[in-house]
Amino acid sequence: MDLGLKGKTALVTGAGSQIGFGKEICLTLAREGCDVAVNDIDLENARKTADAVKALGVKTMAVKADVTKKAEVDEMVRKVLAEFGRIDILVNNAGGMNFGAFNFLEAKEETWDKDFALNTKGAMFCSQAVLPGMTEHKYGKIVNISSSVAKQAFPGVSTYAMSKSALYVFTRGLAGMVIKQGINVNSVAPGWGLTNFDPRPHDEIKKGFIPETPRAIETTPKDIANAVAFLASDVSAHIVGQIICVDGGSTMQ
Amino acid sequence: MDLGFKGKVALLTGAGSQIGFGKAIALLLAKEGCDAIAVTDINLDDVKLTAEAVKALGCKSIALKADVTNKDEVQKMVKQVADEYGKIDILVNVAGAILGGGPLEEQKQDLWDREVGLNLYGTMITSQAVLPYMQKQNSGAIVNIGSGSTHMYSHGVSTYAMAKGAVDIFTKQMAIMEAKNGIRVNCVAPGPSPTNFIKAPDKQAVIDMLAKQIPMGRGATPDDIANATLFFASDISGYVTGQVLHVSGGSVL
Repeated sequence: MDLGLKGKTALVTGAGSQIGFGKEICLTLAREGCDVAVNDIDLENARKTADAVKALGVKTMAVKADVTKKAEVDEMVRKVLAEFGRIDILVNNAGGMNFGAFNFLEAKEETWDKDFALNTKGAMFCSQAVLPGMTEHKYGKIVNISSSVAKQAFPGVSTYAMSKSALYVFTRGLAGMVIKQGINVNSVAPGWGLTNFDPRPHDEIKKGFIPETPRAIETTPKDIANAVAFLASDVSAHIVGQIICVDGGSTMQ
Repeated sequence: MDLGFKGKVALLTGAGSQIGFGKAIALLLAKEGCDAIAVTDINLDDVKLTAEAVKALGCKSIALKADVTNKDEVQKMVKQVADEYGKIDILVNVAGAILGGGPLEEQKQDLWDREVGLNLYGTMITSQAVLPYMQKQNSGAIVNIGSGSTHMYSHGVSTYAMAKGAVDIFTKQMAIMEAKNGIRVNCVAPGPSPTNFIKAPDKQAVIDMLAKQIPMGRGATPDDIANATLFFASDISGYVTGQVLHVSGGSVL
């Protein structure tokens, strides 16, 4: 199926990890002919991803920014616009979790703030920065990477789950606000993957709860990239404010 | 993006209407390289037209009559398809209709039985008949057509919305049960759409009124629904199961 992504321009945040979802999203968009700006807090890693994108024959650039800092985000978007002229697609992929914060009575304010800053404020700043251009062109796609834990409840308080849940509500509210400007906002919610996201050894994660999920296999970066490409394209133009859980059936909500 | 439909066999119910979702799904599957598409409807003359249109795209097709509320007919129909093509990889449960609705005091058992029979029981017995073939090959994708009406409330009792709400739950139950057999089950929930579903004599006026209430300013087209259905039917969503995706232009956020 031609997704019509040829000649489009995308900005993907948090795409530095060489085994993460972000890099595969960049590569999948590039294979469809999309120019891709690769962001990460670590410029060296973003450059590695950009090199892989470049090898696919599209325009690319690596751009450093901590998405929790508005000034850095604005500067990043300015740089991408200077290079690409416009941003058609924003993928808010940067995110993370503070492991070891599961003991609620000992949970610290800074852990709370850190999770919410990275997982919600980052998406807000990036969306704020790209929306004026998208509104001007009456065209845009924003895809927020949420998490299947946003729709599940486990015993214990997870600031990560709460922040990803907030990101889902953000997705719906923003979607309703900007759809009349021709901008689609949706979300992809991955299950557990074997990426750098979880610092535990991959063998441990594999033997842990993944066998308990309905499909008993982990989320792969390709699974996520496919769903993102679908939502970043015009074939999903009538889909507004939705969350697609790509989690092997862990979440049935 | 290659959706990997080459060599696949699909079965669609409710594919007779020449302006409906079923036909659009059949044609898009054919365009994307599906090997054979069996199209069925309660009205054989209508569905023969769909089969002709599929064949014109160079794809094998047969038209079969089946009332999805009749278990014997459904089992016979499914067996005929499997005998003809040797397997069934994809099932799309499109057959469904609004048969009535209104104030609480006017509700009658007959209407409930017919509406639940067509929209819920029909989906159940068709899936029941197809599943053994998918289990045998340890792979398969089932896509149920749900409805945005499950989340859009208005005065009066809509048995249709209730039955479609049950289709959402049935989707998840089947997804859980079949995950380990390599079979994925998902649901596409269309928002208001200008198909034969709207039976009012002043159809255009109803369509115009609905469009005003939809944030995107237009109803769901058969192509919108076909695109989302193909996403779920394809291996590119290989890690997605038990999900309900609203394709409603922002009507359901």
